[in-house]
Amino acid sequence: MSVTDDPVDVLIIGAGASGAALAWSLSDTRMNILCLEQGDWMDPNRYPGMTEDWELRQLGDFALSPNARGRREDYPVNDADSPISASMFNAVGGSTILYAAHFPRLHPSDFRVRTLDGVADDWPLDYARLAPYYALNERMMGVSGLAGDPAYPPKTPPLPPLPLGKVGETLGRGFNRLGWHWWPSDSAITSQPYEGRAACINAGTCLLGCPQGAKASTDITYWPLALRRGVRLATHCRVREITVGANGMADGVIYYDAEGREQKQRAEVVVLACNGIGTPRLLLNSRSKHFPDGLANRSGLVGKNLMFHPYAMVTGVFDQRLEGYKGATGCCIMSQEFYETDRARGFVRGYSFEILRGFGPVSTALWGMSSGRMPWGADHHRAYGELFDRTAGMVVICEDLPEAHNTVTLDAELADADGIPAPKITYRLSENSTAMLEHSVARARQVLEASGAHDTVTDAPLRFAGWHLMGTARMGTDPERSVVNEWGRCHDVRNLFVVDGSVFVTAGAVNPTNTIQALALHIADTIKQNLANLFD
Amino acid sequence: MGHPLSDDQRRTLTSVLDELIPPSADGRLPGAGALGLADYVEQVVQATPELAGMIAEGLATLDDTARSRAGRAFADLAQPEKVALLHEQPFVFPLMFHVFTGYYKEPRVVAALGLEPRAPHPKGHEMAPVELGLLDTVRRRAPFHRAC
Repeated sequence: MSVTDDPVDVLIIGAGASGAALAWSLSDTRMNILCLEQGDWMDPNRYPGMTEDWELRQLGDFALSPNARGRREDYPVNDADSPISASMFNAVGGSTILYAAHFPRLHPSDFRVRTLDGVADDWPLDYARLAPYYALNERMMGVSGLAGDPAYPPKTPPLPPLPLGKVGETLGRGFNRLGWHWWPSDSAITSQPYEGRAACINAGTCLLGCPQGAKASTDITYWPLALRRGVRLATHCRVREITVGANGMADGVIYYDAEGREQKQRAEVVVLACNGIGTPRLLLNSRSKHFPDGLANRSGLVGKNLMFHPYAMVTGVFDQRLEGYKGATGCCIMSQEFYETDRARGFVRGYSFEILRGFGPVSTALWGMSSGRMPWGADHHRAYGELFDRTAGMVVICEDLPEAHNTVTLDAELADADGIPAPKITYRLSENSTAMLEHSVARARQVLEASGAHDTVTDAPLRFAGWHLMGTARMGTDPERSVVNEWGRCHDVRNLFVVDGSVFVTAGAVNPTNTIQALALHIADTIKQNLANLFD
Repeated sequence: MGHPLSDDQRRTLTSVLDELIPPSADGRLPGAGALGLADYVEQVVQATPELAGMIAEGLATLDDTARSRAGRAFADLAQPEKVALLHEQPFVFPLMFHVFTGYYKEPRVVAALGLEPRAPHPKGHEMAPVELGLLDTVRRRAPFHRAC
């Protein structure tokens, strides 16, 4: 599509999880809405799962790290000063193209961290406020799961749970032996045909895009509906900066089109939906006389308080074959036995266990090699035979707490293909996270052994697990201690909104996409309710 | 390996591959060299000039050392001699990565592992529905999320 400089009512930057949800919600206003996306539409017929060498593609054009992929649509991230590297994808659908689609909600306690545990800050909204938006988002994305989970207030996923498979059943029995909580995962993957989408066929290629359309990436959920209602989406448009008028309000953006030409787009309202690294990067790149330290950054908090979820991966080796190559890669069962704070454990807050499937043939060899269990030579086939289809992995997702020294800044030298300064992340694990990881790894081993594993292998913290990017433009009611208010509007710029994971006050200990989208829907609804006096 | 391998280099590489992944004792799985993996390995390492140089140098060193110690080319050594020489070579570990990835994507190998050698889509895999009885004890548990 062609884009002109005619001003639009709402300009959304980023077509991923949150931008899509917001665009769809706002589309019923009939406003003139345009989304600029630096990536392109993906062609599901060309996803790696359609090819025999699909496992190798994880090491190349479908690698988790944009640095490893090196596609023009991506931007590099300097992650040398962090034990966790950033994983993201740039396309219509954003990182939902590659995510596992594990779709839990936060707990009510996650919104009251300061009150309950005396750390970090409370959110300026609560679980009850978000609950209807969670439910709406779960319908829109098509979530499979099971009602009745005692770890949560009542909720009812719209579709029945995905198969547990031998891996889930084996680990479920292990949890039962210990008397610990577990439950089928809430998964944004269709267990049955749903709203024009086919059901999951258990192909096990979720992290490489879903050719079946069973996994809910927003290019196949929100976007078709939003486009049908008149929203426009322009791809290969990479925003360099948000511009500010004489009145200190955002008045548009400067971006590079597919041919690398500089373009200007004016807008009445600008919405950032670029993830917890892309959003602070863009704000910091948007300097002006009104905002010499970066747009909407009078608090100095843009780019501060970067939160990942520190992950550990603990893999068990079993005697029996587990058919772990079957099934949704990251969506099997979850345990929240250790989610809520118990100070006797030596840390505050908590963690979730998520059970993964096993490895494919190539991944088995590479994992065996990296863990020192896969020799070359005469013993190779014995060692391979002991691992192939006999492993079950579990990851631990630890809650990260906001710390000002964990940051996204601009790299002095690194830039993307259009010459826009790239982000640099600086991050270290806190003592609380380190203690939590240690506790969780010991419990993970306990579960695997109770499930019958004769050996376990631990990788912690898991370097490539920077999937969850949060906290770098956090919400709050105090302009000195937060960047946006309780409905995503920047304190400093009243026609500028943030709807991605940047606004998280704390991280919880679950995958954030459901919460990111529920927040985007909440913010969109609040914008609609305040249209008459949006900038007051 | 800035240019295609010579016949001698290819013979050495094939012999190395058969040592890294030899045929399985039951004969179901071929050696990596016999499988014809040299073409694949040559192709992928060319994309990494540093590795290509390291491997080209390593193959030459292997042959030179074999000739100086035993008077024969590496490929003509007895198996224990080959193994001993390979343990001295720093290129073996980085080469393993490409050998393993190439070997375990081969249809003949995948089939020998008990899987259908095909793309995962569009056929997918059959799985049994959830056995909810496993959850009986969890279901009986009282809600344990903190009230706020």
